[in-house]
Amino acid sequence: MVFLSSASPRMGSVLAASAAPAPPLPPGFGLPPLPPPATGSGPQREAKNVLPNPGAFEQCHQKCKEVFPTQVNGVRLVLNKALSKHFQVNHSLQLSSTEDSGYRFGTVFVGSGQAGPAEFYPVLVGDVDSSGSLNAQVIHRVTDRIRSKVVFQTHQQTFVTWKADTEFRGEDFTAAVAFTNPDVLDDSGMVITHYLQSVTPALAMGGHLVYRRRPGDEASFLSLVGRYTGSNFVGALTLGWASVQASYYHRASDKLQLGVELETGAFLEDSSVTFGYQLDVPEANLQFKGVINSNWVVGATLEKKLLPLPLSLVLCSFLNHQKNKFHCGFGVVIG
Amino acid sequence: MSGSNVKGSFPSRVSAWISSTYRFATDRNDFRRNLLVNLGLFAAGVWVARNLSDFDLMSPQPVT
Repeated sequence: MVFLSSASPRMGSVLAASAAPAPPLPPGFGLPPLPPPATGSGPQREAKNVLPNPGAFEQCHQKCKEVFPTQVNGVRLVLNKALSKHFQVNHSLQLSSTEDSGYRFGTVFVGSGQAGPAEFYPVLVGDVDSSGSLNAQVIHRVTDRIRSKVVFQTHQQTFVTWKADTEFRGEDFTAAVAFTNPDVLDDSGMVITHYLQSVTPALAMGGHLVYRRRPGDEASFLSLVGRYTGSNFVGALTLGWASVQASYYHRASDKLQLGVELETGAFLEDSSVTFGYQLDVPEANLQFKGVINSNWVVGATLEKKLLPLPLSLVLCSFLNHQKNKFHCGFGVVIG
Repeated sequence: MSGSNVKGSFPSRVSAWISSTYRFATDRNDFRRNLLVNLGLFAAGVWVARNLSDFDLMSPQPVT
């Protein structure tokens, strides 16, 4: 099942420009995530003094963000069809008064390389809309420790984003470098480097450096990140001279997860707090997510699998009390 | 007389404090005020997540 969602804009953060929105990957088709840092109740390790790999830098706040519902506006119909065990196509139709309506055709190709029970490589994902705008990414595991990804985005016939990044996963650290929109002729581009080190089995710390160059202008931004993983919670903090982001994820039970996030915009001009929860009811094949934030926005999504049919129904509504705006959405995912 | 003045002014001081607190919390023009309030909301959210989420939603209803 694929749940297509629209990315939520961050408040003026320059780091948001470094992250190119890529087509979503179906479950099982992405790069294999490494297990979280070992905790006291985690699995036994061969040597107690071996620090685990801290995972990807982007995953520091990911657990909290996954709890929040994603807004669906209008009507969305998604049809997934697996043509073989390597190749899948999907058709997406969206009708909305607030977003661009249209049709998108997407494909997913998974290679024969296998890194785990449900982890394959290389992975090629792409989708194109009716105007010819393309989103594509290629993910490949070069060696056991080196992973690479290439992303392309076009708006009709114009390239908007081209990005290449490489990640190296050591025994107890992760390092990555990415080049976004490099243009030798225009002397512009962006280089992003991440480094995350396991300090203890539960604590990981690192840094994030962004260097942006444009004709006649260059700037760099450094931020520090720390993540602490407990038995049933994850706290993360990103401190930069231009923005601050803090998140707390708590797994109350098998059915209830909560997340709290504090985000500030560039140069601390604005800030917001978001509180969300996710309720899973497997007995009813139902998942409910709710969110409320300090900008007086309240929203929720409900996703229900209509077994035995290969259908998932998605209902979404968001209400902005401050701006007196209400958005609702309805989606059906087939396959 | 002084006691009655204290008693008479206490509710007005409380209401004035409540009014000033409300104006402070809802004034969105001051980004430092925004950050301070949001830090407090973040701390409150973490406290709620850690302390008020230990109930089983699917537990059977008590038989009366």
